[in-house]
Amino acid sequence: MRQALHIFKKDVRHLWFEIAVAITVVGAFTFTGARRALWLVDPGTNRTAAWTLVMILLPLAWWTLIARVIHDEALPGDSQFWITRPYSWKSLLGAKVLFILAFISIPMLLADGVIVRAYGLPLGAEMRGLLWSQVLIAIVFIVPIAALSALTTGFVQLIFAILTPCVIALGVAIVAPEIVLGGFLGGSDWVKTYYAYLVISVAASAILVWQYSTRRTAVGRFLAVAAGILAVLGMALIPWSVAFGIQSWLSKDRVDQSVVHVDFDSSNRWLTRVVIEGGDRVRIELPFDITGLPPNMMASPEGFSVRLQGPDGTMWRADQLLLRNAGKMGQKFSLEATVDGAFYRKIKDEPLKVRGSLYMTLFGNRQTVRVPFGDRSVPVPRVGVCSASGGAHRQSYFLICSSAFRFPPVLVSYSFIQSAKEAVQDVWSSTEPRRPISYSPFPAELGISPVSQDFTFSTVPVPLSEARVDTVEPLAHIRQNFEIDNLRLGDFEVRPMPVSP
Amino acid sequence: MTNILRTIDLSKRFHKTVVLDHLNMIVPEHSVYGLVGPNGAGKTTTIKILMNARQPTEGMAEVFGRDSRRLSPEDFTQIGYVSENQQMPEWMTVEYFMNYLKPFYPDWDVVRAQELLRLFELPPDRKIRNLSHGMRMKAALASSLAYRPRLIVLDEPFTGLDALVRDELIEGVLECADGATILISSHDLSEVESFASHIGYLDRGRLQFSEEMTSLVDRFREIEITLANPSQSPVSWPAAWLKPEQSAAVVRFVDTQFDQERTIAEVHRLFGNTHQISVNPMPLRAIFVTLAKAGRKAA
Repeated sequence: MRQALHIFKKDVRHLWFEIAVAITVVGAFTFTGARRALWLVDPGTNRTAAWTLVMILLPLAWWTLIARVIHDEALPGDSQFWITRPYSWKSLLGAKVLFILAFISIPMLLADGVIVRAYGLPLGAEMRGLLWSQVLIAIVFIVPIAALSALTTGFVQLIFAILTPCVIALGVAIVAPEIVLGGFLGGSDWVKTYYAYLVISVAASAILVWQYSTRRTAVGRFLAVAAGILAVLGMALIPWSVAFGIQSWLSKDRVDQSVVHVDFDSSNRWLTRVVIEGGDRVRIELPFDITGLPPNMMASPEGFSVRLQGPDGTMWRADQLLLRNAGKMGQKFSLEATVDGAFYRKIKDEPLKVRGSLYMTLFGNRQTVRVPFGDRSVPVPRVGVCSASGGAHRQSYFLICSSAFRFPPVLVSYSFIQSAKEAVQDVWSSTEPRRPISYSPFPAELGISPVSQDFTFSTVPVPLSEARVDTVEPLAHIRQNFEIDNLRLGDFEVRPMPVSP
Repeated sequence: MTNILRTIDLSKRFHKTVVLDHLNMIVPEHSVYGLVGPNGAGKTTTIKILMNARQPTEGMAEVFGRDSRRLSPEDFTQIGYVSENQQMPEWMTVEYFMNYLKPFYPDWDVVRAQELLRLFELPPDRKIRNLSHGMRMKAALASSLAYRPRLIVLDEPFTGLDALVRDELIEGVLECADGATILISSHDLSEVESFASHIGYLDRGRLQFSEEMTSLVDRFREIEITLANPSQSPVSWPAAWLKPEQSAAVVRFVDTQFDQERTIAEVHRLFGNTHQISVNPMPLRAIFVTLAKAGRKAA
């Protein structure tokens, strides 16, 4: 420990200018971020340009500091004076970790705390998010750059090491975007992201320990390349059903799933359609009912798998497709699957068996919080704080909600209320999501800004008394099977109307 | 006498280039071992493997009886290493550099450190980046002698230095060595022959010989024979005789295993009667040239 402190002091003395720059940028980040909390009251405090600039400068200042401190005792090579001196690798690594904690992580922790308080968010309640946010920043912004710095001897090499995978990824993204970007997994997309975080953090930590303990750079570089490939491939290849399975497992005890049923909506058979499309493709639309939901609970279909089977065993599968309208609430939904024209012509007049599963998220625990107009912030559980204000001529009304470290893990909807009467304007229907929700169980999402805001307004020409914020919570992620027998698709065939010239 | 440094079948390859080829070298304790050889012979690679700055491809190197790959920080408190191409912390002043290193060494002697700065006339407040090459080497040496290391390793320390600075460095090392074992590499024999107790000659990754300086000088003689019967020439020459030349009645060669009685007897056995046998001691440089040429011819 004594040696680590000694090296740390040397680094502080050597890199005082870089430290001063980084601390100044964090100071500017804190000041600008905290001032932005007042922008609804004083629009002059918004300073979007300054905020954007600070958000760009902050990671650059961190990366410069990390690279400089690690390159001060560069690890690759055999000519550095320190490698034949009595350095303990643990002390050296410890000194670098201490430096990063002292001049990046702790200042950022404090800055985030100040900004969160400036928004009126309770720091005690947000402590988990505050700490987890620092972990994510470390995983994505700090540890990988530290690992790359440990594999390089200077800035030029480091920039090359950062840019090379970016250029390769860009090239692959242009040629085959699905490999780099993967499919969006809806609310379960965090599974993919956390997989990448896990690979990156484990690999980067392993590289740091390996490099500091052995200085065998070739092996470290191989590990870095392998980890990069593993992260990208994993993100591209993680099936949606696996992500949903993890999500189900995390919420398995919260709802009795056996009471929920999914059935073909035979009363609405007119909604069953078979549309002949171009390119010898046929779109099949089947209406379903979700029944047996516990009281005050809503279902949001997320995806499905379906299998169509003719009497002679001819089969068409559409596995684990994400519904395009995922998140749409309701007890009814329409399953859409596109089949090959040849398959359709073969089975259109045959009685089909349809077997499949619907993946859905159940929402409940609705809570409504009143937000009176005025400058006072109102705590809204599961969201953060909200404040509502009237415009200059009392005809424009604003509602702004601030959440710390992540968008709320609930569906949020807003409404404006005329005094003691019914809602005069629902800006969003209370059953519609305000924005795509992430089902991540973690208290923070990756981001430099510690506060995310949601803003809405009303311009109705009547005096309004208050705003309301409704939230519903995702309680369970379940899969239910469905079956249809003797479905003759030919009976529901629809041809698109010809377009007049 | 125990061995402070030892290499056992040490090999190093960079891709297909063999830099060290089964090197077996021993540096006894308290010796001043000069590792000599032409540029590219593998001297620096050998030293870097000994200092755990590089990894061997095969074989192993030992320092203080320990595998060099497992040298601990405690081991390095007993090693002073100076190299001509060492990257120094350029931003530090000489004084800060010495003060920075002090806590790393339990045996750091503050008074001695000051003496070394004075001896080498090092300006304490000057940054290392502003020092001349000679001054940098002095600073590196001063920082490596202040804790009385048990082993001093100097890799081509005199390259690029003028004669005066070189002599100052040598004097400094010898004055402050206090019985330490010294391994010094050089491509120039004259740099080390005046003070080395042992010498090893490395050429193309192979140790051509390694022995005490006195025994080396003793066993090499240039022999000149004037033959009584000039037509007599041996069918085969003894392996220990190098550079054999014969012109008319005169034969010249270098005996690498000279022993007065044995050499004379061998001459008489191969050449019969001779008019004269002249035995001349060889300067170290001539010994090296002979060995280098013989080695290359054999290769």
